[in-house]
Amino acid sequence: MLRTERSVRPRRLLAVAGLAVLALTACGGSTTTPTASDTIKIGILSDCQGDFGSFFNDDLGGALAVLAAHYGGHATGSLPKDGMTGAVIGGKKINIVGFGCSDSTANKAIEETKRLVEQLGADILIGPLSGDEGIAVANYAKTSQPNKTFLNGISGAQDATLKVQAPNFFRFNPDGAQWSAGLGSYAYNKLNWKTAAVIGDDYAFPYTSLAGFIAEFCAVGGNVTKRVWPPLGTTDYSSFIAQLPKNVDGLFVGVGGAGLVTFLKQYQQLNGKLNTAHIMGNTFWPDPQLLHSIGTPMVGAVAASGIAADDTSAQATAYKNELAIYPATQKDAASVFTLGYWSAMTALGLALTKVNGDISGNQKALQAALATTTVDGPYGPISLDSNRQAVFDNWIVQITAPPAGSSDPGIHTILRIPHVDQTFGGFFSPSTPAPSRTDPACTKKTPPPWVGNEVPANF
Amino acid sequence: MSAARPSTPGIPGLLGNRIRIPQLVALGALVLFLAGAPSVVDSFTLSQILTKALWLGIAAASLIFLSSYGGMISLGQTGIYAVAGFTMANLVHAAGGKNLGWDPVAATAAGIAVGTAFGLLCGAIASRSYGIYFLMITLAISVIVFYFFAQVTTLSGYGGIRSVTPPGLIGNSVSDPLPLYYTALLASAAVYLGIRYLARAPFGLALQGIRDDPARMQALGFNVALHRALAFGVGAFVASIAGILSVWYTAQISPGGINVAQTINILVIAVIGGLYRLEGAWIGALVFATIDNYSRVWMPNVGVWLGPERFETVIGLIFLVIVLASPGGLVGIWDNVWAMRKRQLGPLVASGTSSAKAVNGDVDTPATVESRR
Repeated sequence: MLRTERSVRPRRLLAVAGLAVLALTACGGSTTTPTASDTIKIGILSDCQGDFGSFFNDDLGGALAVLAAHYGGHATGSLPKDGMTGAVIGGKKINIVGFGCSDSTANKAIEETKRLVEQLGADILIGPLSGDEGIAVANYAKTSQPNKTFLNGISGAQDATLKVQAPNFFRFNPDGAQWSAGLGSYAYNKLNWKTAAVIGDDYAFPYTSLAGFIAEFCAVGGNVTKRVWPPLGTTDYSSFIAQLPKNVDGLFVGVGGAGLVTFLKQYQQLNGKLNTAHIMGNTFWPDPQLLHSIGTPMVGAVAASGIAADDTSAQATAYKNELAIYPATQKDAASVFTLGYWSAMTALGLALTKVNGDISGNQKALQAALATTTVDGPYGPISLDSNRQAVFDNWIVQITAPPAGSSDPGIHTILRIPHVDQTFGGFFSPSTPAPSRTDPACTKKTPPPWVGNEVPANF
Repeated sequence: MSAARPSTPGIPGLLGNRIRIPQLVALGALVLFLAGAPSVVDSFTLSQILTKALWLGIAAASLIFLSSYGGMISLGQTGIYAVAGFTMANLVHAAGGKNLGWDPVAATAAGIAVGTAFGLLCGAIASRSYGIYFLMITLAISVIVFYFFAQVTTLSGYGGIRSVTPPGLIGNSVSDPLPLYYTALLASAAVYLGIRYLARAPFGLALQGIRDDPARMQALGFNVALHRALAFGVGAFVASIAGILSVWYTAQISPGGINVAQTINILVIAVIGGLYRLEGAWIGALVFATIDNYSRVWMPNVGVWLGPERFETVIGLIFLVIVLASPGGLVGIWDNVWAMRKRQLGPLVASGTSSAKAVNGDVDTPATVESRR
């Protein structure tokens, strides 16, 4: 039976009109009210899905614990995601308007940022978590919301600060390359690697993380012969492991998040027990959650991180105590995720106090205060360079056998890499190609300033 | 059945058929409302709900066009609109991608042209397949496009292309969402009228014939595969418009926004609205955008089982309820309610035409479409 198109019927039009009106009436009620002058609205953006979704509560907890410890905040539930009320900074009430739930894609991060900033009316945003999200949010801050303030959560792609240069985007955590500082020289001089292969997820953060290793390793004389890039979210790494050459002295692993657990399991299935003198990892390796998931096979491996987990100094202890309000987050105190969000909220608290909670005048006073704020971090001071990017001390750590009473491996910190800046003393600049599958090229040149100036750690 | 209704005064309509007065009033109210929406709702709702619903609706309309007139349920629309969006984003000034610095208007035309050409190619590949095989081929198209752009870093890479320059007319859609809203509204109206026109043109009539009985149409001398491929190209043209609008909407495009989840979203929108009704595209998109955005605000915390972070579960449940309650989607529910009312007003139905038949003739459930094959 041939059916031809019928005429537009009134009821269908009525349906469309009716539904449109209904939906709009529902939405119209949510009009954001302008910020009351005695309240500052803060949104926190992290990942609750995807490869880094398991860090969601550590991220929120790191930020909210600061409000509880210093500014009179009360947790409204046992988990960070339950929210916090009652905090006051510089005489202004802090209203946590919501938590953004992204999935490590730039698209979702922007959607969630818009929800927090445009729908819920956040004056200040803390976040996001992942590399490409950070670049996207920094771009959004620069072009779409120049009058609001953004503090990075823990995303670590180099471009987010070095290339985008949004005047209202502040990053109190290192980028991926900074977290790798010291490892290239350690591999060449201490582990005697002359050639190496690298493997990392195929997106901005691992590009940056591996760029830090490659730049330094090649500068001191090493040669990186192969770079392998499995897509983020890969569940079967066997074909990528098969691409890794056998005739190199070492392998640097920049696979992150949930992928690292799978990668190391498959690597052992194909190559036998990890030979930790010939494999090292980036900042994910010493993360408490991953040490717990992967366990003893990693013992002996060297990695670099912004965290010296075995540091028992007063600063480090004070940091851990601050997190006491959320026991699960406190257990993950030695995670860069917790520390990154903690640093952002700490810096924001200091700067808001400095300007007496004044966010009028398009927040320019607050932004000026943030630019000169130094966070007295648990493992050393964190200040900003002229590009609003953290300068900090990095740490070379070794994974050790589980301490008594624990089944998870421990951490022994070997070296402090002092004063690591984003440019590696001139390696990276706004005009150098962004870290990618092929950049930076492997060339011998003057090493970064910290090579030869590493300080032995004695915790 | 409309002949059975008592005659009401009518005037000649845009497409030649007669439009009755209540219809005209409804149409006028809708136009007035949509045009006046910016002064009624706040800018967030305008941009995040209405504009989003309009461009998602266009994407869903391309799917509904193929399914309702061509009997082709395509999962390839996301892949096709991604090709258009990425083409445009690569051609203009942007962070990432080729950054060729073309004029945004020229780049938009190029994007739509490339998206349509890609759709024709895909149509040529898929046009001889039916049912589940057609579904799989089109799904594969979307997946291939996703991996292509995720892997080819010179064109996109995982992080995608950011700060895409829109035409001067659109401007910064965050600080001033009005131009993009009206552009999306005009595009939606053009797509709606265009598809309805095409459906009455010989091309559309033949397409519906092919949907109902391809063998007979073949016997009548139609080139069935070519006709289906061309229809797929028309769908691709519509999807390409959605792709361009989606890039203007977020000022960026990345593989994360065109993955399998988004492919499913477009299908969900079409099914919520009504897979066999063109209007359903925008209704489904409006409902989807609203639920997607507000489900976290409305969602109560019920132990560890339910909470704001489980909003996607709720979208799934709503989808399930709609599909179970009305295979014709929300428009189908409306049709059923209307038919019930009509049964109560029995005398309005002409003798010999049962109200049940009238309803069946009006609502294409998947079953009735299947039975036509």
